[in-house]
Amino acid sequence: MIIDINFIGLIIASIMASAVPLILASCGELITERSGVLNLGVEGMMIIGAISGFALMTVTGSLIIAIFGAMLAGVLISTIFAFLTQTLITNHVATGLALTIFGIGISAMIGKNFVGIPGKEFPVLFESLKETIPLLGPILFGHSIVFYFAFALPFITSYFLKKTKIGLIVRAVGDSPESASNQGINVRLVRYACILYGGAMSGLAGAYLSMIYTPQWIENMTGGRGWIALALVVFSTWNPIKILIGAMIFGGLTIIQFHMQAIGVRIPVQFLTALPYIVTIIVLVVISRDSRKIRLSTPSSLGKSFHKDN
Amino acid sequence: MKTNLKISNVTKIYPGCVANDNVSLEFNSGRIYALLGENGAGKSTLVKILSGVIIPDQGEIYLNKNNLKLNSPLDAKKNDIGMVFQHFNLFETLSVFENLIIDSDGQREGLRGKIDTIMKKYNFSIDLDIPVLNLSAGQKQKVEIIRCLIRNPKVLIMDEPTSVLTEQETIELFQSLKKFSEEGILIIYITHKLKEVMQLCDEVAVMRRGKLVSVSEIKNENIESLANKMVGQNLKTIKKKKAKTSSDQLIKITNLNFTSEDPFETNLTDINFSVNRGECLGIAGISGNGQSELFQVLSGEIISEKNSIEFNNNYIGDLSPQERREYLMAFSPEDRLEQAAIPQMKIFENVALNNFKSSNFFNNGLINENKIKEHSKKIISDFNVNTDNIELKSQFLSGGNLQKLIIGRELITSPDLLICFNPTWGLDVGAINYIHETLIKINEQNKSIILISTDTDELLKLSDKISVIHKGKLSKIMNSEEVTSEKLGILMGGAD
Repeated sequence: MIIDINFIGLIIASIMASAVPLILASCGELITERSGVLNLGVEGMMIIGAISGFALMTVTGSLIIAIFGAMLAGVLISTIFAFLTQTLITNHVATGLALTIFGIGISAMIGKNFVGIPGKEFPVLFESLKETIPLLGPILFGHSIVFYFAFALPFITSYFLKKTKIGLIVRAVGDSPESASNQGINVRLVRYACILYGGAMSGLAGAYLSMIYTPQWIENMTGGRGWIALALVVFSTWNPIKILIGAMIFGGLTIIQFHMQAIGVRIPVQFLTALPYIVTIIVLVVISRDSRKIRLSTPSSLGKSFHKDN
Repeated sequence: MKTNLKISNVTKIYPGCVANDNVSLEFNSGRIYALLGENGAGKSTLVKILSGVIIPDQGEIYLNKNNLKLNSPLDAKKNDIGMVFQHFNLFETLSVFENLIIDSDGQREGLRGKIDTIMKKYNFSIDLDIPVLNLSAGQKQKVEIIRCLIRNPKVLIMDEPTSVLTEQETIELFQSLKKFSEEGILIIYITHKLKEVMQLCDEVAVMRRGKLVSVSEIKNENIESLANKMVGQNLKTIKKKKAKTSSDQLIKITNLNFTSEDPFETNLTDINFSVNRGECLGIAGISGNGQSELFQVLSGEIISEKNSIEFNNNYIGDLSPQERREYLMAFSPEDRLEQAAIPQMKIFENVALNNFKSSNFFNNGLINENKIKEHSKKIISDFNVNTDNIELKSQFLSGGNLQKLIIGRELITSPDLLICFNPTWGLDVGAINYIHETLIKINEQNKSIILISTDTDELLKLSDKISVIHKGKLSKIMNSEEVTSEKLGILMGGAD
């Protein structure tokens, strides 16, 4: 079997493409969690983003409206979560789970009219450069703008948290909301903003699935990616760069196991399908076992409600 | 420039309690003011009002004749009022530098220069780039103080600043505070420690149950007069009669080691000591030097080698707390609401948790409620717990009452050895007195105590022998008559 070097490039590019929604949703959730809020509704927000993006694209015909509309939909549904957990001080876990169930249900309802409608082609950038460099050409060029954004996002997130004042405030709120509040930081406002940002990124991740990755609407099409995104955040110990690594491993194994199934490797399909989930988590656990670093990067107040009383 | 701070008719009412009842006070820069009172007297509420954390129901605050509206901590900062809280307001996982710059607007590097200047001026030395969780309590407090100083405050409020400091660190703090005062910063010092007031302050205001009781010059007061004002009655001073030294050994610890997997715990190395019947062994030290690990090893929360602990001629190092209780050991952990009692459970349910074999609290797996309640009532009356409702959830008991309940629960089985860890931490003078009396009484009944405490005065008052724990190692065991608090302070700091 002769393997074309550009074919390898294409496989790597497809692995990267499958990692995009995970990176987007994880980096969004990472900011939310760094402020001390545990939002288990990522799956729900993603699928809302997916149906909103697809529906807006079909109805308005505008890709820009569709992408931003999907993000807005993510923001709106996360506002429900923010209102419940930050204003009405409900339990983060229960509210997040409810959000996911709600998202899956309502997306199926809206999506009924969009099943079977073909999607639109999403413009890609630097298409002409694809052939210029062997191997790297297909990896670097000919992708959508969302793709490039997703691969820049972990670095932007890392810079934001480490180097900017607002990033510092987010980490401070996640470390100790009481201290932050006594320092004059509006904890509720910061947490609202972080939740809404997480919603926007999950919405974008969903839109990427239904508009770019597989341009069509299928019920429940996120297929558990929201949960993987959540796991990536935790097992990467809230480190955006490790999220990138985890998402690539997960994407890689997903793609490779498809190919293995296609070739007809004699391993039970169920095992192959389960492989990415197990391996990703094992790898992330192994690369993040420094307990000192875990302590330093874990938001101490994660999942705990903060109520300021006068 | 002179600073004048005036509090006028401030009232703050919480459901069921008047925290501040029409309090008026006036402060002038150049002097150090003490605000003295027991826990719950309302002094913390008052300073939280001054720092904008709590908004008063009534009353005005004037700084240099300007009426201040302090609706948030930010307002206080803008008006040059700085506050160092009793429980540090630091972000443990952020670096020292990040903690310092979080509320300032300047450029990072400019701030670094400013911080360096402040540290040089007051002789502070702290690495700015390590996370706060690696600092000692004294260093953390300095970080808080620097954070205030960056803003050039006119007023600096210190809320019970010495509760976590060693003798040496306290002396340093007092020197710094005097320096700040000379430079024109108005200092308000909140405490319930009378000795400190006498050492440091120029003027003292005493609060009791939300009301201002007196304002006076320090030179007209002494420790007894202040104590009586603070408690509102004449306190009898208790003194321990020196016990006849018995040679009957009760517990012996031999070569006990504990290595923790958690990097934030302290390892214990080569712990050796013994306690005779009727004796109280005090273990001093700055918190975080292995006290909590030592307590857990002694109580059986952490299992050690069987032979390392010999109690009443039995080797019990590998037994659980429950099994150790059967051998007549009793335990009073440091954290009353987290470790000693379950806050959401009722008083009698908490009593039942100490389910010793002869108690008959449970029959065939069923709860014998009458038996437990009867037992609880006995504890409440024997140990002076100020409630008659054993159905009350224990979180609603005051710290003092809860501690009496816990000590009572432990002692009612008449154990041979009581191990307690900071038994009077955060309690008011009345409750402290009661606990101290109780502990002395136990010794008089020829029963033993291991008292792990960070309060040096308490240790000197109650112990027959004292040892100091530093970085997980015990100093040699000394007779308490030979020890002074200065000597303990030096040992606590790690010197030999």
